[in-house]
Amino acid sequence: MIRFQSIISRIVILHVVAVVIASIFMSLALSWLLSYATNNIHNEAMQEQAVTVGQHLSARPDGRLELNLPLDLLGLYSQAYGRYLYAVIDDQGRVLFSSLADHAALFPVDARSSDVEFLQQRRGDATVSGASIKKTVGGQTVWIQTGENLANRDVLIDDIVADFYKNVGWITLPILLVLLIADIAIFRRALRPLWQASEIARDIGPTRTDLRLPTEEIPREVRPLVSAINLALDRLEEGFRIQRDFTADAAHELRTPLSILRTRLDTLEDKQIGQALRKDVDGMAHIISQLLDIAELDSFVVDPDEKADLRSVTAEVAEFVAPLALTQGKDVALLGETEPVWVKGNPEMLSRAIRNLAENAINHTAPGTTVEFFIDENGTVSVLDRGPGVAEHERNLIFQRFWRRDRRKAGSTGLGLSIVQRIAELHSATITLENRRPAGARFSLKFIPLRP
Amino acid sequence: MRLLVVEDNEELAELLAKGLRTAGYQVDVLSTVEEATSVLLTTFYAALILDLGLPDGDGLALLREIRHRNNPIPVLVLTARGGLHDRVHGLRSGADDYLVKPFALEELIARLEAQLRRPGHLLGSALRIANLEFDTRNRQASIDDQPQLLSARETAVLELLMRSKGRVVSKKQVEDHIFGHSGEVASNAIEVYVHRLRKQLSERGAKVQVHTIRGVGYLIAEEK
Repeated sequence: MIRFQSIISRIVILHVVAVVIASIFMSLALSWLLSYATNNIHNEAMQEQAVTVGQHLSARPDGRLELNLPLDLLGLYSQAYGRYLYAVIDDQGRVLFSSLADHAALFPVDARSSDVEFLQQRRGDATVSGASIKKTVGGQTVWIQTGENLANRDVLIDDIVADFYKNVGWITLPILLVLLIADIAIFRRALRPLWQASEIARDIGPTRTDLRLPTEEIPREVRPLVSAINLALDRLEEGFRIQRDFTADAAHELRTPLSILRTRLDTLEDKQIGQALRKDVDGMAHIISQLLDIAELDSFVVDPDEKADLRSVTAEVAEFVAPLALTQGKDVALLGETEPVWVKGNPEMLSRAIRNLAENAINHTAPGTTVEFFIDENGTVSVLDRGPGVAEHERNLIFQRFWRRDRRKAGSTGLGLSIVQRIAELHSATITLENRRPAGARFSLKFIPLRP
Repeated sequence: MRLLVVEDNEELAELLAKGLRTAGYQVDVLSTVEEATSVLLTTFYAALILDLGLPDGDGLALLREIRHRNNPIPVLVLTARGGLHDRVHGLRSGADDYLVKPFALEELIARLEAQLRRPGHLLGSALRIANLEFDTRNRQASIDDQPQLLSARETAVLELLMRSKGRVVSKKQVEDHIFGHSGEVASNAIEVYVHRLRKQLSERGAKVQVHTIRGVGYLIAEEK
């Protein structure tokens, strides 16, 4: 079975087959009708001729029959002309008169035949076709036969039949082809709402879950499919919403009790106990924030139209982390490109990724050293530290959730770099990691640059 | 100075009120958008501390309503979500600053003071780091309670840094503060003023340090 890829091609192929079959049948039917009509004309003419011959047949007083054909008829039936023939036969089967040289009957006579008969007979190398009528003249029953030698048939009739295909038959083909073109046009028109719906469907994605396919102009036959797709989109949108709501609710439910705890500690009379507990609460709050970030990232989709100035995002992060670095006796510097560097992506997400790299770098860099941010105009931001660097066997481990080199070290959740990696994935960004000489690590994030 | 706290969690609201009262403020606590809307119509508050998730509506709706009435009250938004959408939304709806829960009470008070010290929101108290004090009313710096004479530009830089205590001031902010938005500024002009200020402060025995964060900006902090 042939499988058609498109409705139009299916229509064209099936239509062409139908056109071929219809052309053959129509031609056959027309030519049959034509020959039927010409036969009728011929038969009627023959019958008329027999009647005319009969009118010139009369009985003599002795009872014998005589035929007195006028001159024009004699000419018509003359041997020289040879086209029309006649014969008169009596009820004994005797040939009374005949235009044939051998004085023979045109067709065999059958006494039981009806009053009018149309017959055909081969004579030598010619075919004679004609009529036979029964008539009673002077008390005798005779059969008057007239015929036409088909070899000398009327040229006009021949021409009609012969030229049928040339003059009439070909017209069926263009008519059917015009029909085919009309059908294709009708179908294309009918399918246009589907193409328009496809255009809309192309824009539907995780960032645009609100779009629905229009059903008004869709042909009724296809409408159930379109409606079913719309219902499926409703369910998907609901799923996305539930996921987002859950993340937001979880954040609220976790952060409010932490706020109460934190504020209670801040208002404690005993400052010393408060100090120690505050550190614990801050650590817990940090883990919860990062877990919520991860949860949010799991359902987050980057809008393809969003863009961010990598330079200003990094500058904000540097401003944000600088006080933290200074309190630890470390420094921060922003280097590289000073003009805006536009990249594809969500600015807040980029900021989170760079912030996690920055916090990681500040945690690891040696006191008295500087964590450097370097912006490249090709859409890359690098964060460089002067810490211990990353050993070869740790290169993949560091991006795993909850992995920590030193589990006893406070202030690290082991989630920061996995957040960086997830954000990089969402933005089709690449992370590279190099060790620096004499010590330190350089994490680079290369985003997709936008040309201004 | 009277503050309004709109927070639906009673425990947190009480703790905040207690903390703020200890810091010397008078505090009223409300828990719904409806109450807050009507109270703000009749009562003057120096600032509003607004939680976003309230039982009868979104805190952001209240914020829009306040701004719609052209009420310039400084608003500090508290949010539990901390998501990117919240942040953008909150600041666009007219919040002056925001804090993500959980936050340190100290941080809340610092941010609040930063708002109250803005032009038009007079908070007369002097800004202080270690032995350095800056009176925002007469723009007078003093070290160990001895008034110091600084140039107009040095004073302007110092004022900006002191107002942004604990935070980095970008080079652009310093430029705008000193020269306004117009006029050409020599590329190293700011560095020159900061350098001079730093020299003046250390020569006069101020126990503060003006940090230069390369490519980012400046930050004033207590000397270690």
